[in-house]
Amino acid sequence: MRYLLLLLTLLLTSCFNEPLYHSQSYVFGTLVDISIYGESDEHARFLANHILDDFQKLHHQLHAWKPVSQNQLSELGQLNAAFQQANSPTPISPALAAMLEDATELSIKSNGLFNPAIGHLISTWGFQRDEFTAIAVDEAAVKNLLHAQPRMTDIVIKDNAAYSTNPTVKLDLGGYAKGYALDIAVAYLRKEHVKNALINIGGNIIALGKHGDSPWRVGVQHPRQPTAITTLALADGWAVGTSGDYQRYFMLNGKRYCHIIDPRTGYPVEHTQSVTVLVPPQPLNQSQAGVLSDVASKPIFIETPENRSKAAQALGIENFMVIDDKARIFVSKNMVNKLNWLTPNVQFTTLP
Amino acid sequence: MKNTHIQTTVDDHRIAKLAAFAILLHMVEAVIPSPLPGVKPGIANIVTLYVLYQYGFATAAWVSILRVFASSLLLGQFLSPTFILSLSGAVVSLAALWLAMHLPKRYFGPVSLSILAAFGHIAGQLLLVRFWLIPHAGVAYLIPVFASAALFFGLINGLITAKLLYNKR
Amino acid sequence: MFNLPRYLKLLNPKLITQHVLSGDWLVLIAGLLCVLYLFQTLWSGEHAAKVQIRLGDKIYATYSLNQQREVHVHGKLGDAVIVIAQGKARFSKSPCTTQYCVHQGWLSHAGQAAICLPNQISLELMGDAKPYDALNY
Repeated sequence: MRYLLLLLTLLLTSCFNEPLYHSQSYVFGTLVDISIYGESDEHARFLANHILDDFQKLHHQLHAWKPVSQNQLSELGQLNAAFQQANSPTPISPALAAMLEDATELSIKSNGLFNPAIGHLISTWGFQRDEFTAIAVDEAAVKNLLHAQPRMTDIVIKDNAAYSTNPTVKLDLGGYAKGYALDIAVAYLRKEHVKNALINIGGNIIALGKHGDSPWRVGVQHPRQPTAITTLALADGWAVGTSGDYQRYFMLNGKRYCHIIDPRTGYPVEHTQSVTVLVPPQPLNQSQAGVLSDVASKPIFIETPENRSKAAQALGIENFMVIDDKARIFVSKNMVNKLNWLTPNVQFTTLP
Repeated sequence: MKNTHIQTTVDDHRIAKLAAFAILLHMVEAVIPSPLPGVKPGIANIVTLYVLYQYGFATAAWVSILRVFASSLLLGQFLSPTFILSLSGAVVSLAALWLAMHLPKRYFGPVSLSILAAFGHIAGQLLLVRFWLIPHAGVAYLIPVFASAALFFGLINGLITAKLLYNKR
Repeated sequence: MFNLPRYLKLLNPKLITQHVLSGDWLVLIAGLLCVLYLFQTLWSGEHAAKVQIRLGDKIYATYSLNQQREVHVHGKLGDAVIVIAQGKARFSKSPCTTQYCVHQGWLSHAGQAAICLPNQISLELMGDAKPYDALNY
């Protein structure tokens, strides 16, 4: 009897004191959530702070519109300024060069639907501001930018310097940087021999190991309700990312203008509410899982309904879910068994 | 008019006497304020359990049901929610007792029966509350409290019954 | 009549347990486990019990959802008002221009969250039965 009680108390205390460290901070203009399992609190705090410092540095390096200080632009800001004068090479760091090469490759694969070169278009719509308000867009400006066709392939990188053959190229790595940061964090944690962690940068999530005996569980936000619609298990090295029309948008005359702009029309996408992609670990010499989870949801979000599967395949994505403007749910064949709906009788269409 | 005289048996008298005693305990408990509304020791169940062992299930059932009816009449709660709650508790508790008395006697004594009956009692009451009186999820919160009380008082009542039964022999 | 030593003798553990049979112990332990299980599932169930308010990277406060209250939090931009009532919580006023946090409406289940990025305030409903570790949004 005594042993039974002892066992019970042990069981109970282990339930309440699991070795889970959790921190939340605002970096990257968004909420960064770091969970580390199985390390001492002190060590976990050290690791988390290191990751947050790295994120802060990345943020300064890659911010598309905010200067680091009054007189100094971010590295990306300086490059964008140089791009306006065509054919004037500007030195860039090897890290940024690698990022741009990777982003260019992904842009080509996605047939230009992922296009980080359309920074001018995004700022025309007013989304390159922390606090944006509803605006009536300058239609002529959109038309001009569309005609100028800024593309990633306009950028030439040579001898640690870059220039653009098209002065209307303006880089906005908003759909790339968070994923890149995830990969950096995971690489750092693996180097430090951390077995179990979950990192969430503004909704883009990557997993390392497990949460105790069970895998890390991630809830996918409902695009119109303050609750999760489904949950999924995130295995070691897997990443999940969602693009939604509810993340950054403004309403004008009852119409929703979201931050995801179709590079082919220059206008915000209207036929999709959200796209979620689930990405397995990638081979080392390719775009990593974090980057892919950030990038790959955009082309699927933008592409016309009948071509969504093609857009996914182009980037090697097998697991994805789409919720369209009429709240209809589409789930890729491979993804179906990975989802646990939180309400009964969810109707969805299976995509190839 | 013909004067009818109801024939009473020895059994009837015994049931009446024991029920009277149970009613007394029930009333005493009704007067003592409880720290938590709805949580009561249920000492009248000692009588039910004692009767079950001494005179069998039928007598115990009579005593229990009579006690519920008579006490509510005396307290002016007849057909009120309190009465219905009391009745549903008694019925499910009797059902639990009937099942439990078929357990092997060598291993399961009054303490087992008392605990199981107490759980049956709150189960009956909570089911009624959930489906009739307050049909929303709010009561779920109270179930663990009621269950702990049932376990505790079931144990105490069972120990007292066992003492009464075996010390007499 | 008041033979105190005799009554005290009744409290002797051996005397108390002398009529407790092996099956009785089993029932008692099963009952205990049952009660523990009920506490674990029903007192930490899906219906959240608490709301955690975070300001920046610090936990600002944790409140029970069963008590009605209005919380004023001074964020990066200014005062936000959070209302807690009847097991739910929401942003009712915020100085941010987008007002996404206010449009999130009432949160009522464990794991639900409302985040105000510009003002750096977040609400999260807590509960052991939280169905996931992180929210993908």
